Amino acid sequence: MQKINRNVVLALLSLTSLVFLLFQLCYYKFYLSQKNGAAFSKVRGSQSGQDSTRWHVVRKFLGLISSHNIPVYLIDPLILGLVDKDIEQIRSSPDGPSPECKYFCAPRDFTTFALLDKTWKHEVGLFRTAEKMGFQWLKIINKDPRLDGMDDLSGMEIPLHYIFKLASHAIHLVVFYERSGNFLWHGPLRLKQHMDRKFVPFRKLHFGRYPGAYEKPELLLVSIDDLKVQIPKNPSSFLQEMSHSRFLECRYREARAFFQLYPDDASLDAVEFRKKAKSLLHLAALTLNNLGVKFWLSSGTCLGWYRQCNVIPHSKDVDLGIFIRDYKADIIPAFQKAGLPLKHKFGKVEDSLELSFQGEDDVKLDIFFFYEEDDHIWNGGTQAKSGKKFKYLFPKFTLCWTEFVELKIHVPCETLQYVEANYGPEWKVPVKTWDWKSSPSNVQDNGVWPVDEWDDVIQIY
Amino acid sequence: MDEWKPNPAVKPHKKRSWYLAWKYKLMNQRALRKLCQTGAVLFLLVTVIVNIKLILDTRRAAYEEEEESAQDYDDEMLNVEVPRHPVNNKKVLDVEVYSSRSKVYVAVDGTTVLEDEAREQGRGIHVIVLNQATGHVMAKRVFDTYSPHEDEAMVLFLNMVARGRILIFTIKDEGSFHLKETAKNVLKSLGSQVAPFLSWRDMWTFVGKKGGEVYGEKHAKSPALSTWGDPVLLKTEVHLTSVEDAECHWPDTELNRRRKRFCSKVEGYGSVCSCKDPTPIEFNPDPLKDNKVFDVPVAVIAGNRPNYLYRMLRSLLSAQGVNPQMITVFIDGYYEEPMDVVELFGLSGIQHTPISIKNARVSQHYKASLTATFNLFPDAKFAVVLEEDLDISVDFFSFLSQSIHLLEEDESLYCISAWNDQGYEHTAEDPSLLYRVETMPGLGWVLRKSLYKDELEPKWPTPEKLWDWDMWMRMPEQRKGRECIIPDISRSYHFGIVGLNMNGYFHEAYFKKHKFNTVPNVQLKNVESLRKDNYETEIHRLLGEAEVLDHSKNPCEDSFVPDTEGKVYVMFIRMEQEADFTTWTQLAKCLHIWDLDVRGNHKGLWRLFRKKNHFLVVGVPASPYSSKKPSSVTPIYMEPPAKEEGAVAVPAVAAAEQT
Repeated sequence: MQKINRNVVLALLSLTSLVFLLFQLCYYKFYLSQKNGAAFSKVRGSQSGQDSTRWHVVRKFLGLISSHNIPVYLIDPLILGLVDKDIEQIRSSPDGPSPECKYFCAPRDFTTFALLDKTWKHEVGLFRTAEKMGFQWLKIINKDPRLDGMDDLSGMEIPLHYIFKLASHAIHLVVFYERSGNFLWHGPLRLKQHMDRKFVPFRKLHFGRYPGAYEKPELLLVSIDDLKVQIPKNPSSFLQEMSHSRFLECRYREARAFFQLYPDDASLDAVEFRKKAKSLLHLAALTLNNLGVKFWLSSGTCLGWYRQCNVIPHSKDVDLGIFIRDYKADIIPAFQKAGLPLKHKFGKVEDSLELSFQGEDDVKLDIFFFYEEDDHIWNGGTQAKSGKKFKYLFPKFTLCWTEFVELKIHVPCETLQYVEANYGPEWKVPVKTWDWKSSPSNVQDNGVWPVDEWDDVIQIY
Repeated sequence: MDEWKPNPAVKPHKKRSWYLAWKYKLMNQRALRKLCQTGAVLFLLVTVIVNIKLILDTRRAAYEEEEESAQDYDDEMLNVEVPRHPVNNKKVLDVEVYSSRSKVYVAVDGTTVLEDEAREQGRGIHVIVLNQATGHVMAKRVFDTYSPHEDEAMVLFLNMVARGRILIFTIKDEGSFHLKETAKNVLKSLGSQVAPFLSWRDMWTFVGKKGGEVYGEKHAKSPALSTWGDPVLLKTEVHLTSVEDAECHWPDTELNRRRKRFCSKVEGYGSVCSCKDPTPIEFNPDPLKDNKVFDVPVAVIAGNRPNYLYRMLRSLLSAQGVNPQMITVFIDGYYEEPMDVVELFGLSGIQHTPISIKNARVSQHYKASLTATFNLFPDAKFAVVLEEDLDISVDFFSFLSQSIHLLEEDESLYCISAWNDQGYEHTAEDPSLLYRVETMPGLGWVLRKSLYKDELEPKWPTPEKLWDWDMWMRMPEQRKGRECIIPDISRSYHFGIVGLNMNGYFHEAYFKKHKFNTVPNVQLKNVESLRKDNYETEIHRLLGEAEVLDHSKNPCEDSFVPDTEGKVYVMFIRMEQEADFTTWTQLAKCLHIWDLDVRGNHKGLWRLFRKKNHFLVVGVPASPYSSKKPSSVTPIYMEPPAKEEGAVAVPAVAAAEQT
């Protein structure tokens, strides 16, 4: 009897287990297909052929906005990715009818478009028409960052995103604003308390997790899937840009608090230095951008941005960082051509490279090259008279865009760690005397250059 | 597991179920049995693990979902919107009104909406307008009817209030001395019994509905000339009407929605809220052909003078070539009513927390507004700067469109201004004529972005410096010898009477008779001659053809200039060095033009019109144009008035005109 029981129990247990497993599988699949449609529906879509709902919604939307003369352009990364593959063909036959629906028929939850704020007048009529056409719409507004840096100004909130939903498809319209520094900016998508967070699956949106910065795109009117739309002229570079578009706003509130504690230096010297530093930074940015070299604000200039949203008037130079992998031999001649003679060059491309250019009246441009290791990034320093080498260590960082002295410019996204590595936990307190060999908290001795290399690694002009 | 021993004695039984058969079969195959058991155990284990994993996965997915929608997409601030006024369904308002010599107050439902016990201030009749449906205060005014003309302003205001509104009146100190018959009749028509008999130092309170019932009135007569009437306190109840009754029934358009929002909040704007025939709030003036300033941002600098702002924006939006999208109104302070006006016209407005006091406050407001303007329109090379107390000429943008390229190309220019300091009714004539002047007039002007960003913004006076921003901009350190372009006939008109540096007398003396262009589409004459070098050629040409006036006559006399039209005359005055304006100031006084400081000069030369003739004044010998003076002519010298008079402050200087 015992033996029978054991077997029966085992069999029964296996059976229940199996049933439970099946139930779990069903639930998981159901849950996933709802929450993470893309993965599943993609498969489904390619099996069941085409889904015309999306195409119809997009067509209706394009009709809606063209009836109100609002110029939008397509920035949907998935479609642009497809378009990019056939770009030659699409360019060459702008009006040709498409044999099949290739781009707008893959079933997705969203199609993303962009709108330049200054090209429309915020007419309320658009939304009325949209409602009549059956669209449900949601507007996401927030503070105007262009006024954020200003003492105590409060403007009206500006629209950052619109979502138009019809049937199972939604159009995500991202509003782009022009910012000082000649670039476009879009805001983050943040829902306010009373908003319907189930309106669409927000987390699947391609835009809105962070604010982003973009160049002004050149547009191209194309006809794809028999729909006339504007797209960025060069979709692949747009997609490239999109993957590195994250934008950081300066910490204006903290900067104001800083100036309450340490009033700004308004002396004529400070005004003059800031003016020179700004024009030097503009010149450097122009030169490096022309070369296609990625660079960021480093050391004191980065601290100035992070702490006070301005150039530190007693810093006396402008500091930039460049990854050594982005080094180009043209950098030195390009700066010389721009009117900035080389002042000194320390180290070599393989080790501790550092360049210094002479700007107008004693304002110096320092360029530090950064070397990436597995778990940290470092740049080197050299003491001219002794040939001593130093190493400054930083935790790994990525680059974000920001706006600084009317420039769109890179800073480390993990700015706090970067600044703290360089200036220690007391970075909030202004220090006027700074010794680059001993003051930084991340400095390490790194030996001495061999004497026979000195001529090469210590060049002073 | 126990050993199983086969028992050959037992035969297979027919009655045995299939189960037992199967069991025995299994039991017979020991190895297989073992295998199955371990298999089952393994399977059990696997399913348990898979189950746990699945549960964890779904949990995590669900958690992430929550997490992300919670963290990434939630606004960090809890924008709980508190309704500005508690909804209350009460149909009756308790109103308390107090009138006395030194204090007045009005309380509605226990909330004080007016309280004035300041000394030497707030004399006259205080008027409050309430919305008859909501009880909200829509307007608050005080008319000092002890002084002349204030009763006319009150009548004007009362006529603008829509029918059905609730009006509350109370007198502080004295309100009858200059309360004329017309005004008394208007009060009588509102239902007041006492108003026609109001006399010296009487106290009076009155609550009534315009064009309807009277809710209460109290009056205390002054017993003697030297004493005031006893304080009176009126307590009464007002019955509210339904919202529908309080609103007009305009067709439902976007514009009318804005109008409705505005008209249910504020009063005193007249026909814009008229139910029958409301005045338009969208103007659609003719577009300008080849408009060079269509994309130039316009910053309107405003304070808390909503009626001024209303008048200003109307004229601005009616000007040809205006682009409403480029207009931003900057309000110094968190005042609601100016913002209501901005929203009525569908413009964008920005409020500014006041920093510092008096002139420094204005100066900080200017700085913030200019910086914000260039932030909001990063592409702009210029900004048009206007103030809330200006009328804008119909050809304002046309004037700028024709001249703005000079500001872009000519480095020696500081600004373009729509205002000619010396352009009075009797001294300005030619709408197509422009001048170059060394002073910056302001009052409607164009600022170059590079000038602001590179020079002005970094060293703008800080809040603790009580400087006027315009005086600061006129200082040589800032102006650096650059000049402004101005029209002969101003394209703006300064109508503000109330203001920081302004009063009625001052306005009457210096601004009221200013000439203002009303001709549309004026084609400017010879704009190229305004460039630095061309202008000198032009001046020399003018001086060459000018007729020298008779210097033996008194230049203040009308007969100094012959009764001709369209001629060019020149006179020479004494000007020892560049900063010697003794004679000019005396001349300006007697010509009744701006004499408070020196304006409108260009290298010791002033250009204006007298009797429709172009009239040039050259300061000798400081001006480089002195060489044009015939040797026979002695420059005119005019004595300043005696010292003690000259040293007195502004109004007195203006008064000295008479002497």
